[in-house]
Amino acid sequence: MSDEPQTPQTDENEPLLRTGGLSRHFGLGGLFSKQVLHAVDDFDLTIAEREIVALVGESGSGKSTVARLLARLYKPTKGEIRYRGRSLASLRSRKDVLWYRGEVPIVLQDPFSAFHPVFRISHGIMRNLALHRPDLSRDERRREAERVCEAVGLSPRMLTRFSYEMSGGERQRIGFAQALAVRPKLILADEPVSMLDVSIRAGVLNMMAGLRDREGVSVLYITHDLASARYVADRIVVMYAGHQVESGPTETVLSDPKHPYTQLLLSAVADPREKHTELSADTGEPPRVVNPSEGCRFRARCPFAIEKCGQVTPRLEPIGEAQVACHVAAARGGAAGSSDAAPVTHP
Amino acid sequence: MTEPLLDVRDLSVDYLTEKGDVHVLHQVNFAVAEREFVGIVGESGCGKSTLLFAVAQLLSPPGEVVGGEVIFRGRDMVRLHGGELRHLRWRDYSMVMQSAMNALNPMKSIGGQFKDALEAHGTQSREEIQSRSREVLELVGIDAVHLGSYPHQLSGGMRQRAMIAMALLFTPQLVIMDEPTSALDVVAQQSLMTKIRELQQRLGFAVLFVTHDMSVVSRYSDRVIVMYAGQIAESAPTEAIFERPLHPYSRGLMNAFPSIRGPRREMAGIPGSPPDLANPPAGCRFHPRCPEAMDICRTREPALYDRDGAKVRCLLYTEEGQLPAEPARETQSS
Repeated sequence: MSDEPQTPQTDENEPLLRTGGLSRHFGLGGLFSKQVLHAVDDFDLTIAEREIVALVGESGSGKSTVARLLARLYKPTKGEIRYRGRSLASLRSRKDVLWYRGEVPIVLQDPFSAFHPVFRISHGIMRNLALHRPDLSRDERRREAERVCEAVGLSPRMLTRFSYEMSGGERQRIGFAQALAVRPKLILADEPVSMLDVSIRAGVLNMMAGLRDREGVSVLYITHDLASARYVADRIVVMYAGHQVESGPTETVLSDPKHPYTQLLLSAVADPREKHTELSADTGEPPRVVNPSEGCRFRARCPFAIEKCGQVTPRLEPIGEAQVACHVAAARGGAAGSSDAAPVTHP
Repeated sequence: MTEPLLDVRDLSVDYLTEKGDVHVLHQVNFAVAEREFVGIVGESGCGKSTLLFAVAQLLSPPGEVVGGEVIFRGRDMVRLHGGELRHLRWRDYSMVMQSAMNALNPMKSIGGQFKDALEAHGTQSREEIQSRSREVLELVGIDAVHLGSYPHQLSGGMRQRAMIAMALLFTPQLVIMDEPTSALDVVAQQSLMTKIRELQQRLGFAVLFVTHDMSVVSRYSDRVIVMYAGQIAESAPTEAIFERPLHPYSRGLMNAFPSIRGPRREMAGIPGSPPDLANPPAGCRFHPRCPEAMDICRTREPALYDRDGAKVRCLLYTEEGQLPAEPARETQSS
């Protein structure tokens, strides 16, 4: 038997990753409490090979819960996740789990607390290699560690450093290097640049695009920054209060947002290179979804809400190239706010 | 020209550590006029928060003002002692801290905390305290019933608003804000900044705020100060700096964030990392990372030069850079 974790039965015709009806609920309160927080509900996501998908939304919208579900840190309450056609629920043996963790590693948000301060940077990378690629000799592991370091744009000399000797940007790159060492197919990146300075964000974003182009890796890029999503992502998925409200090719979604929430998010982003636009006066916040009833979760903040929005939960429906979950947009066959009636108009 | 509200002259701050003194701020000069909205941007570790703390006289050891003056309404705050400062603080200038939403006392209702601040400055009558508290809370768009609420009952955005309401209890002339919105989401951030800007124009106070979010600065501030390694690299009206940044560092910053509309462009970022302030590079502090560095930048330290209504610390704008300009007034003292 070879030492390398063998690839379990997979279906090559399937997309890299696909979720169906994925839901995660959390019980709130004491033992007898019947309050249930719906963090993620009926979430359908597909990620193809060599694709960067941006998952955007406000905090509390359930983005990080999705990442944790995909990383197997949480078990789904309902629904399933299929990786190359194989259901994650069927991964039971240690070998299978190790295989999946190697194919789909996660990079965390805070590069300042993600590394063990006592060990050198090489420790995490070498450990990953020993665990996931036991066929490599010690020398090969060393060379591989140097290779991944260079792949993320760092000098191999960095390997002997301690995490506290590095800047935030360098640490975040090391996070990606650790993930790369296991030859992943899909990296789950949870807000990888939100803690970094503007001057180094660009470097990390360019690196992500480079990993896709050169190493053929897919990335689920979780962010609340639409501008950076636009910069790197092939496709955008917008979440609100645990529901997917809109998804589609990046440029389609951002140049012609159909869901009122996407329109609101876009209007909140100032572009320093443009003349100032009028601002919307929205002061709402995403709700905590506890024991929800039927209906669109955005309706309380929505300028276009109709009666139906309070009665039927909208489902994703194709409008043009995008998928939109909005009754008003579906009825119009276009953006919920037409260009002259939008909450905020852009010149 | 009338006296500015706040005039910072040659302000230097050191952190006194066992390994030696770290010069966190080095001869910083700037002024804030009445009703002006000034944004300070820069990388982490460039001294922008220290600058706010030094202006508010809230530095604690190991930080210490080692030189310069902070003139606020004609008085040098560096030389005022604790008792005198206490009268000014919160009444004449107030400060909203970074992650202000965690700066509220969890054991006290919002109204109780407002009451403490009002009483500390001599407002005794219950009616007056009540009416003023209601007024400021409504000013920031929170219903007055929340005077009875405790911080944990409010959302992050509302706590931040309550904190700003508290800063406005006495209608100060200057409100200092350290990353007031960094913990908030884009939508909440945008609505809060719009509120601050609206209040600032209605009530006529000046704002000095620090952020690392370029889109916030571009939209709300009148003037932008770009800091690098404990010094002011450039100070210019907002429109000018976004249209035509002068300092190579400012140019790098402008090219370091993606655009939400318009053509997609390749971003470059700024290679390298900020210098160790215990041992800053000789000459211009930016020269090791500067794409336009000249030989002289290694040895000669640039002053702040006046150029087209802006101030810029770069030798490109001297005879050596063949872009002559006269040195600015403030830089001649030593």
